[in-house]
Amino acid sequence: MSQELIDAITEMREEDVVAITNQLLDEGVAPTDILMACKQAMDVIGKRFEEGDAFIPELILAGEMMTSVTDILKPRMAEESTSDKLGKIVIGTVQGDIHDIAKDIVAFMLDLNGFDVTDLGVDVPPEKFVETVQDTGATIVGLSGFLTLAFDPMKDTVAAFKAAGLDDVKIMIGGGQIDENIRQYTGANAYGRDAMAAVDLAKSWV
Amino acid sequence: MFVRPDNWNEMSPLERRSARLDAWQNAPVQFVNPEAEAAYKVRIERLRKIYDMEPHDRPIADPFMGASEYIVRRKGVQGTDLVYNHEKLREPLLEFHREFQPDVAVGVLPYPGRSWDLLDFKLYLWGGQKLPDNLVIQAVEGEYMMPDEYADFIADPTAFWLKQYLPRAYGALAPLAMLPDFPKISESVDTIDLLLPFGMPPFQEMLHKMMEAGNELMKTLGIVGQTGAMIAAEGFPAMGLNIVKTPFDYLGDTLRGTKGILMDMYRRPNELLAACEAYVPVLIKSIVGSCDRSGAPTAFYVLHKGADAFMSQAQFEKFYWPTWKQVMMALYEEGIISYLFIEGSYNKRLENLAQMPDKSLVCHFDQTDMGPVKEILSDKFIITGNVPASLMSAGTTDEVRAYCDNLVELFEDAPAYILAHGCYFENTTDDKLRAFMDAVKK
Ligand code: B12
Repeated sequence: MSQELIDAITEMREEDVVAITNQLLDEGVAPTDILMACKQAMDVIGKRFEEGDAFIPELILAGEMMTSVTDILKPRMAEESTSDKLGKIVIGTVQGDIHDIAKDIVAFMLDLNGFDVTDLGVDVPPEKFVETVQDTGATIVGLSGFLTLAFDPMKDTVAAFKAAGLDDVKIMIGGGQIDENIRQYTGANAYGRDAMAAVDLAKSWV
Repeated sequence: MFVRPDNWNEMSPLERRSARLDAWQNAPVQFVNPEAEAAYKVRIERLRKIYDMEPHDRPIADPFMGASEYIVRRKGVQGTDLVYNHEKLREPLLEFHREFQPDVAVGVLPYPGRSWDLLDFKLYLWGGQKLPDNLVIQAVEGEYMMPDEYADFIADPTAFWLKQYLPRAYGALAPLAMLPDFPKISESVDTIDLLLPFGMPPFQEMLHKMMEAGNELMKTLGIVGQTGAMIAAEGFPAMGLNIVKTPFDYLGDTLRGTKGILMDMYRRPNELLAACEAYVPVLIKSIVGSCDRSGAPTAFYVLHKGADAFMSQAQFEKFYWPTWKQVMMALYEEGIISYLFIEGSYNKRLENLAQMPDKSLVCHFDQTDMGPVKEILSDKFIITGNVPASLMSAGTTDEVRAYCDNLVELFEDAPAYILAHGCYFENTTDDKLRAFMDAVKK
């Protein structure tokens, strides 16, 4: 039965996903088991994305399907424990920039690969990144930006971490026009070309 | 204004293309002196040879795509000036042309800020309005067509645009929703339907606002047109552009939003396809019309959601390519060149582009790998682009020079190559820009 859920998700049958989830609950399947099935399905989609067989539409839709399942399950579940996560990451699109599609995908893939991801959204000022790292104890920061006007806010954000004495926090950057030149310019630790690079970098830092 | 010759119906697509290019090339210009005239001739003939893909002395460098903001910003022009103070652009533009002697005229896109204010334009924010003065414009996405409105759009795209989209995109144009359905105005009493809104105070108020906004627009166009004429008079030819999009991008960028349209590929694929198809005849007619009116021989596509990252090749070939190709083929038949500004990367789409007839396209790349571009497309089409904005912003002059030299060398034996940037940037230095422009002169 949970195989049916996995298939519905990986085949992008959005309506079936909700129906099957409800059916599983009615049959007395534990919410945690349903979540496990979702996680397996997400792994399949993540793999496909890595291999170039799935693209933004599938990832966005997968995200939406996950949200509808968790909305159904939430009232019946205890807080999810984060103890088994690989590490904590704070991610966001830098100040002045509102491109969030790529950032959402990076966050999704990091989450899928076992990281505890705090997503600050778009147009995030440097102080907000610093505060959030201080609050969460995250050790990795991901800055996304698509505008040439994002180069300076990225640089300022890297500087804000230095100024706050958080020299050990690893900062990676990425998005549209971002490359090695901009990594040097901003002083970030690394630049990643795509969401897989973000995962590899994060894994190499924990 | 392009006037078709009498034998238009007997002409082949490439003959029509030549007729449009001839008209553009021979458009009258008042030169400041004979030297300027001679320089103009050399430049426009070289550009023409490139467009005809015939042998010429050297490739050209076109800074328009990348540096058009920088060339005025370097003289202290602010973002807000591009929206409100168009007269402030003239001196910096003329100075740039005198100092750098570019191969083609480089314009700056003028945005009609005062008209936008009057009409309460919602699709963008701009410098001097809600953005700080140093910024120009920024698109804000919205859902301007709800999922359940596909049927309205498919039934009549033009009516949808007039009565549903425009009233939402411009606050002051809300009364347009009162307009009647024109194709049913036929019998004597239908005149009542036709005129009714025009008698109503909110509609009349809108018309007055539109006239005011139109007057403001004429001022802007006057200044911009005069500046363009002065640049031409000093010897620099321009190729006008008609900015267009693919059916999928009009729907995605403007009506449904990025996430909306990508989800529609799963949630309502048939309606999405039908909407793209409904667009085809409307677009063909409107692009041909604007090329005729402006005399520009090219349709300039900004390409968004068909890039490698956005969809699979199968999705591209199902949702994006077929209706776009139909439009481009119709333009080709009319002698109009499709200039493709390909944002992001198109590494997987080169074979699709290669299906188009020889000389039908100019392909301007952002981040696509240029090796395969050379292999697959350079014998058929004019190739340009790919110098990174990051390099112009944060690289050194030597790095810029090396990158440009490599590109020029790669396309050395290609029939038609224009050195250009892949994306615009606000900041660089005169030295880097000069290194870019000199790379074609070695
Ligand atoms: C879609 C889009 C928009 C949408 C954004 C919708 C949204 N919700 O995100 C809208 C319409 C709102 C928009 C607005 C604007 N845009 Co825009 N936009 C684009 C476009 C077409 C695609 C960007 C995208 O989402 N790509 C899809 C992603 C998934 O692809 P990807 O880059 O391969 O993604 C990977 C990597 O980037 C990487 N990555 C991303 N982030 C991170 C972070 C880390 C840490 C790591 C390691 C990796 C990483 O991983 C991703 C997943 O694999 C680009 C052109 C292009 N093709 O790049 C222009 C582009 C980025 N936009 C541009 C501009 C100018 C604007 C506007 C100013 C528009 C305007 N003139 O009106 C406004 C600015 C708004 C603002 N303040 O930010 C320019 C930027 C030019 C410049 N010099 O700055 C571009 C390049 C277009 C162009 N050529 O002119 N835009």
